[in-house]
Amino acid sequence: MLMGTLYSFAVGPVWITDPLSGLQVIISALAADRILLLSMVIPIVFALVFGRVFCGWICPQNTISELFDSLAARIMPKRLLNPSPSSKIRYMIMGLLLIVTPLLGFPVANLISAPGIISVQAANYIYVGSVGIELGLIGVIVLSEIFLVRRLWCNYVCPQGAFLGLFRIGKTMKVVYKEDEEHVCGQCFECAKACQFGLNPMGGKIYPLCHNCGDCITACERMNQGEKPLAFRF
Amino acid sequence: MQAIRMSRKPVRPPGALSEKDFLSKCIRCGKCLQVCPYKSIQMAGFFDGIRVMGSPVIRPRETPCYLCMKCPPVCPSGALDRTVKDKKKVRMGTADINKKECLAWQDTLCRSCYQSCPIFDQAITMDENLRPVVDEEKCVGCGICENVCPVDPPAIVVRAGGDNR
Repeated sequence: MLMGTLYSFAVGPVWITDPLSGLQVIISALAADRILLLSMVIPIVFALVFGRVFCGWICPQNTISELFDSLAARIMPKRLLNPSPSSKIRYMIMGLLLIVTPLLGFPVANLISAPGIISVQAANYIYVGSVGIELGLIGVIVLSEIFLVRRLWCNYVCPQGAFLGLFRIGKTMKVVYKEDEEHVCGQCFECAKACQFGLNPMGGKIYPLCHNCGDCITACERMNQGEKPLAFRF
Repeated sequence: MQAIRMSRKPVRPPGALSEKDFLSKCIRCGKCLQVCPYKSIQMAGFFDGIRVMGSPVIRPRETPCYLCMKCPPVCPSGALDRTVKDKKKVRMGTADINKKECLAWQDTLCRSCYQSCPIFDQAITMDENLRPVVDEEKCVGCGICENVCPVDPPAIVVRAGGDNR
C-alpha cells in the first residue's frame, strides 16, 4: 500500500522521508526521533550511491520543467537572462532557509519545495477534491523558466537539490568523459547541446549541478559508433 | 480552494504535541490527512498564515474527529505522538459551553451534545436541571458536540490546545 507525498511516504512497512525535511525537524525541534532518522536512510544511501537521481528521474518538477523546456525552445530559445551555471546561489538559498527554520520554529524550506507542493496538492485533489493556492508557485516556476532563465528552479533555487547534492563521495555515480583509442569522441558537442542545465560534460566540473539525468549520454549514443566516451561510472 | 481564515487556534489531530513543538516537527507531509477515514483532517491554507499553512487541522463544525486513532501511527516525524492509542488520553482541546446560547442552559430541553459525546456520560454530564456540564479533565476535544449542536453558531465549541497526558 502506497501512502504519503514526496515529503514522506510509505511503501508497505518501508518509510521514506525527504532528508531535507528531516533535517529541518532536527534543527527546529532540536530532537531526532528514531523512526524519522531511519526513514531518512534509504534516500541518503541512494544519493550517496547514485547521485541526485531523485532530481533527474523522480522529481515531478523536473519532469514538468523538461517538458516546458522543449516547448520554450520553440517560443523563446534565448531567454531574457542567460547566467552561467552556478551552484553558489542554490547553496546560499538553502543556507538561508536552514538558518531561518530554527528561528521561526517550522520547516521553512518546505514552503518552496516544488516536488513537495506538487505531490501534496495532487494528494489534496485525490482525497479532498480541491487544491490550494500553493500550486500557483509551480505556474510561476514554469513561466519564469520559459521566459526568464532556462531551468531556473533546478539550477538556481531548489533547496532539496542543493541538499541532496551534498551527499557526494568518490564512488558516487557520475557522468564520466573518457577519450582514448577505444572511446572516440567526434567533437560534435551534441552532449553539451542536450544538457538543459547548460553544462558541458566534455570538460570542467559539472557537479554538484549535474543531476544524472543522462540526456548527454543518450545524445552521445545517437551520434557516435562503437564505444561512447560518455557513460555513468562509479 | 481553501480560503477559510482561522479565527482561533487550530484544532490538531489526536496525539499532537503542544502547538510550538507540533509546528516545529510537522513536515506537512499529509499522511495523516490521507489515512483519516472521515476526511476530518484538512490542510490549513495559505490564508491561515505562513507558519500554519500546509499543516493538518480539524474543523469540528464541518467534520469532527471520531477518534479512530489511525493518524498518530503514520506520522513520520513524531509531531503526532505515535504512542497515543487510547482515545481517552487524547488532548486536542476542551469543549466550552456558551451558556447564553445553549438551549438547555436557556431552559429549553436539549441533550444533543450529551448524547453524542464519545466519552459518554463522563466528559459531558447532565446536572440536576438537565443542563450539560463539561468535565475538562475528561474532555478530549474531538468536537462531535460542536458538530451536532443545533444552535448556529454552535453553543459548544472546542478550545484548541492541551498537552497529551
